Amino acid sequence: MPNPASGGTNPLLDGLRIEPTPEPTALVIFGASGDLTRRKLLPALYQLSRGQRLPARFSVVGVARSPMSDEAFRQQFHDSLKEFAGLAQPDEISSALAQEMRYVQGEMDDPALYQKLGSVLKEAGSPEGVLFYLAIPPSVYGPVAEHLGKAGLVSEDHGWRRIIVEKPFGTDLASARALNHLLHKHLNESQIFRIDHYLGKETVQNLLVFRFANGMFEPVWNRRYIDHVQITAAETVGVERRASYYEGAGALRDMVQNHLMQVLALVAMEPPIAFSAENVRDRKLDALMSIQPVVGPDAQNGTANVVRAQYAAGWVNGEEVPGYRHEEGVNPESATETFVALRMFLDSWRWAGVPFYVRTGKRLPKRTTEIAIQFRRPPLHIFKKISPTAVASNLLIVNVQPDEGISLRFEAKLPGSRMQLAPVMMNFRYGSAFGRAVPEAYETLLLDAMLGDATLFARHDFVEASWALITPIHEAWAAAGGKDVASYEAGEWGPEQADAMLAADGRRWRTL
Amino acid sequence: MTTTTTTTRALTGTVVVVGPDERLKPAAEALSKVGESIGLRSILISPGDQTAPPAKVDGNTTHIAGLSTRFLNNVVAAQRLSSLPALVWWRGGSTESLVDLADLADRLVLDVEAPDEVWKHAETLFERTALTDIRWTRLTRWRSALAHIFDLPQVSEAAGEFQKLTIEAADLDAGRLFAGWLRSRLRWKPSVSIAIGRASGNSGPSPLSKMTLEGPNVWIAIDARPETRCLAARVDGVDGSARIVPLSDGSLATLIAEELGVRTRDWAFEEALVAGREVNR
Repeated sequence: MPNPASGGTNPLLDGLRIEPTPEPTALVIFGASGDLTRRKLLPALYQLSRGQRLPARFSVVGVARSPMSDEAFRQQFHDSLKEFAGLAQPDEISSALAQEMRYVQGEMDDPALYQKLGSVLKEAGSPEGVLFYLAIPPSVYGPVAEHLGKAGLVSEDHGWRRIIVEKPFGTDLASARALNHLLHKHLNESQIFRIDHYLGKETVQNLLVFRFANGMFEPVWNRRYIDHVQITAAETVGVERRASYYEGAGALRDMVQNHLMQVLALVAMEPPIAFSAENVRDRKLDALMSIQPVVGPDAQNGTANVVRAQYAAGWVNGEEVPGYRHEEGVNPESATETFVALRMFLDSWRWAGVPFYVRTGKRLPKRTTEIAIQFRRPPLHIFKKISPTAVASNLLIVNVQPDEGISLRFEAKLPGSRMQLAPVMMNFRYGSAFGRAVPEAYETLLLDAMLGDATLFARHDFVEASWALITPIHEAWAAAGGKDVASYEAGEWGPEQADAMLAADGRRWRTL
Repeated sequence: MTTTTTTTRALTGTVVVVGPDERLKPAAEALSKVGESIGLRSILISPGDQTAPPAKVDGNTTHIAGLSTRFLNNVVAAQRLSSLPALVWWRGGSTESLVDLADLADRLVLDVEAPDEVWKHAETLFERTALTDIRWTRLTRWRSALAHIFDLPQVSEAAGEFQKLTIEAADLDAGRLFAGWLRSRLRWKPSVSIAIGRASGNSGPSPLSKMTLEGPNVWIAIDARPETRCLAARVDGVDGSARIVPLSDGSLATLIAEELGVRTRDWAFEEALVAGREVNR
């Protein structure tokens, strides 16, 4: 134990039942008056404060174009807790946190804003760490990074300086590369935290524990035992108020390039040699780099590996909903996909010949995200002459949302004198096994960024590798001019072309 | 349309509660509440003189009344879930059987009103299982509030200079444990004065109501605010040092749920207990 008089490591932190807390930090939120800040960031800060995960000296500086006083920003904080954290009245925790909040108004491309920001950080006691959160449109990332660099605000001469960048990180390979290049002009890669809130989800993190802390699964986690993998991210909602963004993005950019590629990489990666940010991210990158081109001359099955579609009018959750092209703000001739299904193969010893099917869409019957690992059937069905039922494959399902957990399906004998088989499911649910509230993804990720742990953040090369895979699909679609956009009725599980893609392989999508 | 799904629950461990009948009832209620959100098997045993008393089983809870302490080990060994952690929650009984029972527990939580008798056996228990005292859990927020204050440079620089600790406590033994923690973590010499007095006011569910730590250059105070269920910590003369820390509701259910989240041997507790035993009330 260090001598407490030396002023070294805090001797009272040893053995505390709280998790590590960051060094004194100022969090600077660009886009402080925006939706993300109100819905996610401010409630996450409150929950972190309640759980004593914030450092002794912690302050928040909100930055945005809207004129607002410090007091009004604090009121916005209380309002957001009322709306999104269920805190009807400010309590002592929220009031104490609010006291440490300041607001700076200005245009993102105005150098004076950054001078002002520098002064406010000085007034806040020049904390050891400053975390800049870019909750702003991607078009402004560049100018903000540029000005932060020019104003010396990201220089690490007097403590760490980090920046969190929200998705979308580019719109194609070229723009992602340009953005990385621009950020790297002013920041080291170790200072850049590209956030993907899927990686903050407990079950997604648990994939690493499940695979690499259980000796029984890893030996069968390969082409010899696994028939195929299905990853589904289904939403019941339509485009809501995001039509202007969604029209330019579509399901492939919005969900697959980031979230689902991260999930796929966690499923497919080789074991890292240690649980460290660089080791984990290296192995994830390897997995991504091994994915064969999905379209083009080098792709297996040509363009048949991708299906895109739009929802037509239909019924979801008992409500009649309009088709995508009739949504407010959507071009009536739009070719933007609201559903996409992909078949991918990995060039690796572990996964050669094992298809990874990925689908995501809006206005599907159920809100659910899951990873389903379907194992091969036993090589010999010894019961086929006496059991009237076929043997179902073993299935491992990782539920990412809404009920985070893991289920395993296996065959059992139905009770009785007759030999009859039936599948049964063993279920593990986070919500009912450990009894602890699962932290919100933004709580986990904000804290990790303050602690400097980049394991759950995307590295520049992963982002670029993902775009390298996705961009040719967009190019192929652009060349097709919208002729291949299929249609599905809202409330159904996507178009028949997606079913046909699996049927051609003798498989079918899981019924969810 | 709302759909609900029923799933079989994954069990995560066994909790064995041993104590007199009047202390088993609140424990049973607490475990029932904890069981709503954590998959547990609960075994409630009140000591007596019967060799094979009937066991009442209700779902995941087994209640055995009047068991001879001689057979306590056999019953726990037979009833606990195999291959999953077992936590023994000791609410009273013969200390001799406690020491034997420790061998079957992955974690032993002491929870007796007058702890000196069991604290005497601490070193023996440390070697057999991961030991803790429920008072330690009640002190979690107090300890973390003070630890946060020690992150301030003005305090950490003065950490070796404290001369006086004053504690007002609703539970004097919790006060001793807290003082023992500081004495062991900060390597205090006997010259540091420790005064523990009974709290005069209402401290709510908190075991302490007030603490001050004094040195020549730094003065730290932490007060319980039962009306808002918070702790207020501050350092005199240091701007921005005030901290508000939420207290738990202090219920048995909350405390035991917290214990279930701890899986490792707690060295800080062990040192605090050994040091705290020497502190006079």
